[in-house]
Amino acid sequence: MPYWAKSMKALLIKLFAVVMLFGGVALMASAPHAQAETAVQQEDTYKSQGMFEMVGGFIESTGIYALINPDPNELNAHGEKMSDFHKSWGRVIMILVTFLMFYLAIGKGFEPLLLLPIGFGGLLANIPVADIAGPHGFLGVIYQAGLANELFPIIIFMGVGAMTDFGPLLSNPKTALLGGAAQFGIFGTLVGAVALSQYTDIFDFTLKQASAISIIGGADGPTSIFIATKLSPELLGAIAVASYSYMALVPIIQPPIMRALTTPEERKIKMTTLRHVGRMEKLIFPILVLTLAILILPDATPLIGAFMFGNFLKESGVVERLNDTLQNALINIVTIFLGLGVGSKLAADQFLVAETLGILALGLIAFSVGTAAGVIMAKIMNKFPGTKVNPLIGSAGVSAVPMAARVSNKEGMKDDPTNMLLMHAMGPNVAGVIGSAVAAGVMLSLFS
Amino acid sequence: MEVNLVWEGIKFMFLGMTTVLLFLVLMIVLMSYMSKIIQKYFPEPQGVVETASGSTAQNADKKKKIAAITAAIMHHKKIGN
Repeated sequence: MPYWAKSMKALLIKLFAVVMLFGGVALMASAPHAQAETAVQQEDTYKSQGMFEMVGGFIESTGIYALINPDPNELNAHGEKMSDFHKSWGRVIMILVTFLMFYLAIGKGFEPLLLLPIGFGGLLANIPVADIAGPHGFLGVIYQAGLANELFPIIIFMGVGAMTDFGPLLSNPKTALLGGAAQFGIFGTLVGAVALSQYTDIFDFTLKQASAISIIGGADGPTSIFIATKLSPELLGAIAVASYSYMALVPIIQPPIMRALTTPEERKIKMTTLRHVGRMEKLIFPILVLTLAILILPDATPLIGAFMFGNFLKESGVVERLNDTLQNALINIVTIFLGLGVGSKLAADQFLVAETLGILALGLIAFSVGTAAGVIMAKIMNKFPGTKVNPLIGSAGVSAVPMAARVSNKEGMKDDPTNMLLMHAMGPNVAGVIGSAVAAGVMLSLFS
Repeated sequence: MEVNLVWEGIKFMFLGMTTVLLFLVLMIVLMSYMSKIIQKYFPEPQGVVETASGSTAQNADKKKKIAAITAAIMHHKKIGN
């Protein structure tokens, strides 16, 4: 026998032995399992049914049937029982509400980037039978992955930081006070909410709930969501929707308040041109603010730290790729998840409750009070010697970047078309973001 | 024992507004000092000129490179022919 044939034979024998060995082991291992599985399957999966039974069973699994005849044993996302209303008409109403959100986002251009994902999340969360917002549905999974642990709002904050230019604030530092004053909207509303809960029967909010609601006055979506998930997750849906809706409504809510509190002369005040701000100032500023937060209010550092991280990357000028990702790809991806996750809280049993109306009303008050406080603060600052401030930029102290600054600019131009306030208003605007993050930190420190 | 929520709320408001304003006032003070120091010891105008000239120099470099590459390609083509 030639050498090659011998070695081939040996190889074949070895191969055969190996196959037998592993195959045998595998068979032995799987044999009892396979028997058990087939037995179980035969027991409980499929039963032959008559045609009528089959059709009847199918009809019982349709959405129409589930909406008309709610399943008495169905549980909500938290594993609690729901009322029949929330399982039937409540869902229909909520689906119509999400359609209204689509209309506002697409037809009216109200914050479409967030209202569309939130609205669609809400639509999916209200589907009967499928239980998409439940612990094993994909909306529930998204909620658990990034909202229940406050991850998504923090990532959004990084992106916002990378988009923020602190130049206008650095060139006119005292306008930061306007961003602080506007936070009065938060705390004023907090007092109002607890007073109404205590002395009237209109609302019944706890201190934690009232705090989470009044943060809407900070006009900062991610901060509101961050605080709401920490302090009262049961109100998250309504708080997020209120927060983003009012941010979209800034051009409608703010101008009447601004006009009522100012005289035409004040609105015509021209502000001095902003000086040029160097790169080194912009680079040190985020570290400075973060250091201050570390020393005074560590509870605010998750928000401020993420915000300043994004800004620092941007101003460093050496990590253009990361900066670009934060500003675009990352914030877009997280916005989709954040929207859907918040939408999962628009399930009828959580949104169609009396509290929602209270949240919407209190949120509006918080927003208006914040606007007014900013304008009044600007007027107070004008009583002191020094360069004058146009009170119209005070309203930009409620974050809502950059919408609120644009509103200030537009109102200023109504009285004097040559008066460009946009860059001046960006100062209090970005200070407002820091201010509401600090306010949020205070709330957290008080409840920790 | 009933806690007076309104009084709690007012305490929150007082502490909250004080902290927010204190934080921002400190920020304004530090920010102003920082700007002054930087403007004094690391004056910006020169930096601006430098970076501006640097970028034009870079542009000039790029143009030179492009010219060199085109020349090389042309040369190569000629040899090929």
